[in-house]
Amino acid sequence: MKVKPTKFVLYFIVIILVLIWLLPVWTSFLTAFKSPEEFISQKFYQFPQKLLSIIENLKNTFGIYKLHEHLLNSFIYAVAGAGIAIITASMAGFSIIRLKPKFNFPIFLIIYSGTLFPFQMYLIPVYKLFNTIGLYDTRLGMILIYSAMCIPFSLFVYRGFYTTIPKEIEEAAKLDGCGPLKLYTYIFLPQSIAPTAVVALFQMTWIWNDLLFGMVLTRSQNTRPIMVALASMSGPSGGTIIPYAMAGVILTSIPTILLFILLRRYFISGMKLSVSGE
Amino acid sequence: MNNRNHFINYLFILPAFLLVVILLLIPMLQNIYYSFFNWDGIKEPIYIGLKNYLSIFTDVNFLISLRNTIIWVGFTLIFPVMGGLLVAVFMRGLKFENFFKSIFFIPITISFVATGIIWTYMFSREMGVINSLLNLIGLNIKISWLTKVPLNTFALLIGWTWQQLGINMVLFLMGLATIPSEQTEAAMIDGANKWQMFIHITFPMLRPITTVVITMAMVNSFKAFDIIYVMTRGGPYRSSETLAVTMFRETFTIFNMGYGAAIAVILSIIVIAVSSIYIKRMTQKDLLYY
Repeated sequence: MKVKPTKFVLYFIVIILVLIWLLPVWTSFLTAFKSPEEFISQKFYQFPQKLLSIIENLKNTFGIYKLHEHLLNSFIYAVAGAGIAIITASMAGFSIIRLKPKFNFPIFLIIYSGTLFPFQMYLIPVYKLFNTIGLYDTRLGMILIYSAMCIPFSLFVYRGFYTTIPKEIEEAAKLDGCGPLKLYTYIFLPQSIAPTAVVALFQMTWIWNDLLFGMVLTRSQNTRPIMVALASMSGPSGGTIIPYAMAGVILTSIPTILLFILLRRYFISGMKLSVSGE
Repeated sequence: MNNRNHFINYLFILPAFLLVVILLLIPMLQNIYYSFFNWDGIKEPIYIGLKNYLSIFTDVNFLISLRNTIIWVGFTLIFPVMGGLLVAVFMRGLKFENFFKSIFFIPITISFVATGIIWTYMFSREMGVINSLLNLIGLNIKISWLTKVPLNTFALLIGWTWQQLGINMVLFLMGLATIPSEQTEAAMIDGANKWQMFIHITFPMLRPITTVVITMAMVNSFKAFDIIYVMTRGGPYRSSETLAVTMFRETFTIFNMGYGAAIAVILSIIVIAVSSIYIKRMTQKDLLYY
């Protein structure tokens, strides 16, 4: 089978690009398996002598940088923050779409405006507020701010989804005498798996990956999120032990990679939603 | 249920509304307020009117930061965005397309901090991969990627492109899937080659999604903080800061909080101006009225 010359060039370019894209992943992964001594003495493409160095490297990340404590913090934040956003946003979306209290459109706009501004607009006042009311450097404070920041997008997703629930189902339930609470709990909520998965994927990932708010609003070990700790493992001022940092990178990336793999089909629907609003 | 203003209807909205108003909206207004003051966060704020905003014209660090921000946006439009488009278009129909797609997608699944650490290693002067590669082909020049100005900004942007191209590629692929095949088939019958097809059919029909991609990419480049902080801390000597980093530094390192608030306002105005097209689309009446 003759391969057209243009097709050949195309494949060639794509393969080069793929190799370039894989290079950082591959070298970083490899480095995590080298001991610091091996790393300094070897070339980047050479394989480590004993694969078990990764265990040592990980032990050091736990020992020196206490990554395990921060992993727990971020896990709590991701689950609680996204969880609160999911519950409150789905309730609000339900009410806005189906119950339609007065002012529901302005209320929706007010909440949705949260997606407009860069995070920097909230940073200083929230820092001041937390200091004033004693939420600075607390897990509760972090959970609250993460929830608040996830609600606008979550509301957008649930609102969009709830417009697709056929009115007939709602009419039938009303005829059966369903009040709003029953309507929400037994009709809308059980059908909300898809939007919930989209929200969970995007928001848990965002919370897990956050650096800015974690740095500004916390300072102690039992409150700081994981990315702040990871960032402290590497910096321009030197003293970075690269194999340890790489072990940290792998360790802290596993949860989000797993999340993406598990919920990958919701990623596409989430993207479609952000693009066209439907 | 028949009464729209029944108390419980509001009760459903209340938690979300409260959280957003107390922790986002009111702070946003307070930030605007603080920007008119000279304040270190502890002592009493001193009202100085528009001084913070006027001083950006004379602040060298701000101007450098602005220059870098413009470089970031421009570079982002060329490489992550156009690159994403080209990869999406020319990868379609190749064998192993799905495998290739996932390779470009991997960087999105890791955090910005992780990306920053990986590329710090890549660009490291002594042990870095890039310099080692150069060494392999005979150029033993040991470039100090992260400390030479403006090379450091471009090094940051390379890491940024590596991470961001995938998401633009995904969005463009979504857009490509919406192009009816009759058009492309008719064009092929008429004898158009791939390049002509791209210019006259594919690209024009991608305009809606291109708007979205460009807006999102620009906004993301304004917001980029983590990767810069991890790789250079904005330095050396604040030479690689962008507006987002400058805002952080002025506020939490130099404790010039009124000034930091003003920078946040400026950044927000720029972001909202850029997103206005996207916002218009998302808040179309027919989309929000049901």
